[in-house]
Amino acid sequence: MEPTDLSSSNPYLLEAIGLTKRFGSLTANLGVNLKVRRGSIHAVLGENGAGKSTLMKMLYGVYAPDDGLIRMDDERVVLHPPMKARGKGIGMVFQDFRLIPAMTVLDNVALAVSREGWRFRRKELRERILEVSAKYGLAVDPAAEVWQLDLGQRQRLEIVKTLLVPHTRLIIFDEPTSVLVPQEVDAFLNMLGMLKRDGYGILLITHKINEVMACADEVTVLRGGQVAYSARREEIPDGDSLIAAMMGGKELMPISKPRAESEAPKPEALTLERIVIKGDHGETVLQEAEMSLRAGEILGVAGISGNGQRELAETLFGLRRPSQGVLRIGDRELQGRGVQAFMEAGVSFVSEDPLKESVVPGLSILEHMVLDGYPLAPKRLGVDWARIRSRLSASPEAKALALADPDRKADRLSGGNVQRMVLTRALVRGPRILLVSYPSRGLDIGTTRTIQQRLIALAEQGTAVLLFSEDLDELFKLSDRLVVLAGKRLHGPFRPAETDAAAIGRLMLEGGESA
Amino acid sequence: MKTDTTGAVLVPADTALRLRERIKPAAWTAVIVLAPFVLYGLFLSAYGINPIQLYVTMVKSAFGDLYGFGEVLIKATPILLTGLAAALPAKAGLVNVGGEGQLAIGALFSTWFAVFYLNQAPAWIGIPAMLLAGALGGGVWAAITAFLKVKGRLNETITSLLLNYVATFTVGFFVHGLLKDPGSFNWPFSPEISPALRLPVLNGTRLHVGFAIAAALAAVVWFVLAKTRFGFRIRVLGGNRLAAERAGFRLNAMYFWVLVAAGMLAGIAGMIEIAGIEGRLRPATGANYGYLGFLAAWMAWNHPLRLMLTAFLIGMIGVAGNSLEIGSGLPSSSVHILMALVLFFLLGAGRRGKR
Amino acid sequence: MILSDILAGALRSGTSVMLASQGELLSERAGVINLGTEGSMLGGAMGGFAVTVWTGNPWLGTLAGGLCGLLVAAIHAYLVIVRKANQLATGLTLMFFGMGITAFFGRSFVSERIVGFNPVPIPWLSDIPFLGDVLFRHDPLTYLSILLVPCLWFLLFRTRLGIMLRAAGEREEVLFASGINPKLVRGAAVLAGGFLAGIGGVQLSVAYTHSWVENMTQGRGVVAVALVIFASWKPARAMLGAYLFGAAQALQLTVQQQGLPISPFFLFMLPYLLTIAALLLVERRRQSSTPEGLGRVFSGEAGG
Repeated sequence: MEPTDLSSSNPYLLEAIGLTKRFGSLTANLGVNLKVRRGSIHAVLGENGAGKSTLMKMLYGVYAPDDGLIRMDDERVVLHPPMKARGKGIGMVFQDFRLIPAMTVLDNVALAVSREGWRFRRKELRERILEVSAKYGLAVDPAAEVWQLDLGQRQRLEIVKTLLVPHTRLIIFDEPTSVLVPQEVDAFLNMLGMLKRDGYGILLITHKINEVMACADEVTVLRGGQVAYSARREEIPDGDSLIAAMMGGKELMPISKPRAESEAPKPEALTLERIVIKGDHGETVLQEAEMSLRAGEILGVAGISGNGQRELAETLFGLRRPSQGVLRIGDRELQGRGVQAFMEAGVSFVSEDPLKESVVPGLSILEHMVLDGYPLAPKRLGVDWARIRSRLSASPEAKALALADPDRKADRLSGGNVQRMVLTRALVRGPRILLVSYPSRGLDIGTTRTIQQRLIALAEQGTAVLLFSEDLDELFKLSDRLVVLAGKRLHGPFRPAETDAAAIGRLMLEGGESA
Repeated sequence: MKTDTTGAVLVPADTALRLRERIKPAAWTAVIVLAPFVLYGLFLSAYGINPIQLYVTMVKSAFGDLYGFGEVLIKATPILLTGLAAALPAKAGLVNVGGEGQLAIGALFSTWFAVFYLNQAPAWIGIPAMLLAGALGGGVWAAITAFLKVKGRLNETITSLLLNYVATFTVGFFVHGLLKDPGSFNWPFSPEISPALRLPVLNGTRLHVGFAIAAALAAVVWFVLAKTRFGFRIRVLGGNRLAAERAGFRLNAMYFWVLVAAGMLAGIAGMIEIAGIEGRLRPATGANYGYLGFLAAWMAWNHPLRLMLTAFLIGMIGVAGNSLEIGSGLPSSSVHILMALVLFFLLGAGRRGKR
Repeated sequence: MILSDILAGALRSGTSVMLASQGELLSERAGVINLGTEGSMLGGAMGGFAVTVWTGNPWLGTLAGGLCGLLVAAIHAYLVIVRKANQLATGLTLMFFGMGITAFFGRSFVSERIVGFNPVPIPWLSDIPFLGDVLFRHDPLTYLSILLVPCLWFLLFRTRLGIMLRAAGEREEVLFASGINPKLVRGAAVLAGGFLAGIGGVQLSVAYTHSWVENMTQGRGVVAVALVIFASWKPARAMLGAYLFGAAQALQLTVQQQGLPISPFFLFMLPYLLTIAALLLVERRRQSSTPEGLGRVFSGEAGG
């Protein structure tokens, strides 16, 4: 299964020159150059939104570049659509796998690999799977159904699939270690080494510095859609220089938040005692979580997304029942109660995917304001929309957040405007507890600042704010205390003044295995 | 892969282009509305029937005289009600195809009450009581579907559809047994209800006040959906179940009562069939009205007032079916072809915007 | 004696539903729910009967019936896959279309009599006591339909075609990523499903009742759709469900013959109630076996 060596003198498998990709007004990639040698690992680093995935999707043919060119074997190639990229020997292991959970491993491989005819040689394919998986230490059981596999096994299957596609010689890995537990990470890096020795070119997208330092031969750092830094491994002094390149010299902002540390601790607004939360498929997402959120504070929840943030937030709003433990709001136990009980207790919720979970097609912004916002002002049998409209137009929150015209249909709004709408709605209710997930996602810097100021002001007025975010900068700036969600546990709390982003980041990545 | 490409296209504001773009949808609509009639006409002429004559008869029989117009309204009445029984749940994101069974059980309940308890009752007690009995019957029948949905997580489409057959056989059971008219010489139908319980009829026609009841109910459903707090909640639920859940609505209770209300509407259709037209329950009372109502609701995009129009249209085609059978010896159900063609074109055209 | 009658009757009257449910299974595995199966069955029953009357050859009738079913399903495929119409509304409309068009064309065949298919006892095997009566004294279509089930299983779970078909019903983007057009696969599955439903209709009119009656399927197509859900999209279980339905029907005939004091109407209802009960049972311990694409149809996300 080794890559076919076309033994040209060119050491590069792939050369991308000046790649540019725009989505509407957003420029995701601008003039990006990237070269991948055969038999080497090229890491692409960058923060969220730096343009890594857009670049990879161009190289895998999902997007056609707006500008620039890609060369393989000294010839200009067109990789879009992905079928062509695969024909040229490019494979990709996606972060959210391209697998069908209801089918077996063998069937999934057959779908990707076999080409002609209505039959395929089951036995032969099975043997090839076993052969490849033995060679690279990618143990998978061909007869298992994919839904039974854990994330690490699914990733191994994706890799096997890619290796079995004929002529694969360049493999793109999109954040491969984010789904792996630490022990698996070692095995994974080991396997990358084997692939490299067998002549494959490897593109590794990641934001984890230590992995880059451990395995990469070349590094390219993207920032704001452009190449910010590019070097061979031996030219890089240490990991911190990579961090500097990723951050672009911007320091973590000093804490701009007035702190009343001397005051006596405020009463607890929300308490979790030994809470166990199960996910959609009955798997345990969070074990024995302990947490307390006080009135008037902002408690930040750090963690790589997908580590139980959604499930925790849903539990704290009554959308999901904890399978064990005590959930107290004020001094009332609310575990096992529905959304209404939580709303009555003064909890408000800004979910992580408002477009999917909060927007009702066909209804205007005004009409959205009464769903977990203003009370549904009665007027005989109907709703007193005039009153809600005047309340909304008088509300400082709507002004501050530059809410769009209340008569616009919410499903026609841009992501940023939807975010403004759901935040305004949550704020006008004057909640005692506000659960807010990724408040600045998809917003420009100005609005982000406004929202952050609003959250601080809200906390000063006595609201307890639970802030879910991936952005450590934001978390450090806003939070009075921090907890970290990783490895199915809640770690902390930590005081931002007594810790630093590196320590929290390590905990986020390592899931507290070493802590 | 949603890429924004519209920005560049809309910029050149050419007036001629705009005009053309305005005419185009109108022309398309005309094609979509007319094509099924043309197609059905071709089909009929292949069988030696003059389609133009047929369509003329159709329009004439509907609008030619008061009697014919009354016939169309009579036909449209149950379709309007079963249409509401589909449209109301559709607004909440539910698919109720059980109008057929709900109508049948509504007819059964109202006949039962009329025959056994209301035989001596004066009209002013008897008719409202029968109406309530019909609503109760339809509601109970829909409650089975609703219960299975809420407690058993069974899809309401399939269960309501299967229960239609059960309802038909339930009616069969009663008209062959407990409700059989002793004087019927073994024919399977119920005794006739007392004349006092028959709905008042407009002179010179068979048109009864049932149509007014149905129209009033359509207005009520429209008012509830468009103007009340409960209606607002239903629209939110139908628009986005997750958003409704996050706004603290009790989804299961809403699903349950919306389905029951729908069943009551269809049940009233059953009552009107008995008290307005048939006077007694037969095994096939109201057959197909449930399905026609569903399709009428679909054609009206589940809008209660537009539904009056589509119910009328289907009623008109239905009356034409009768004249087709009498005039040319074709089975009356062959107008189903015309209805289906109309719907195929509507379905194929898709719809702009969502319900 | 009674038991073997009922079991043999289960096969005889369950076969039409079984064929339709196998067809619907193909279509649903590819992600399309087709309530128009009822229409396909009616089309098949009528078309098959007509061609048998004209040619006297029930095999030609079978082919014609299958093609009629396929034609009806083709409307569904076009509207749902190409025009992205609402699957449930389209299916219901097709059901009506089937009722109307077969009533129209079928009128002149109502009083016709045909020889059609008749039970062919299989030599030796049919002499086995009990089993011979139950299994080996049926019409050719029933035998064929039994053979069809393992074939379908093989197709779905052992061939590349089957993998493609299931992938279309699960996650079409994965199939698309493999360079295969999911619409094509879906369309083929819906057409094949219509063909099988049509043959189911033929079995009803040409082999079982030897007559054509307006709307003779009596909701068997709808039952077939429900049975597929009951069967968790597995061919063998759909067969079982169909024979259960058939047994309930056979029971009703037997009870009538025996003159037992049970109202026939309860027995008429039984198959439908049984289907609902079976669905409830499956739902209780379901492990998300619904093809993902299909789940979207049921929750109203797909199609307008």
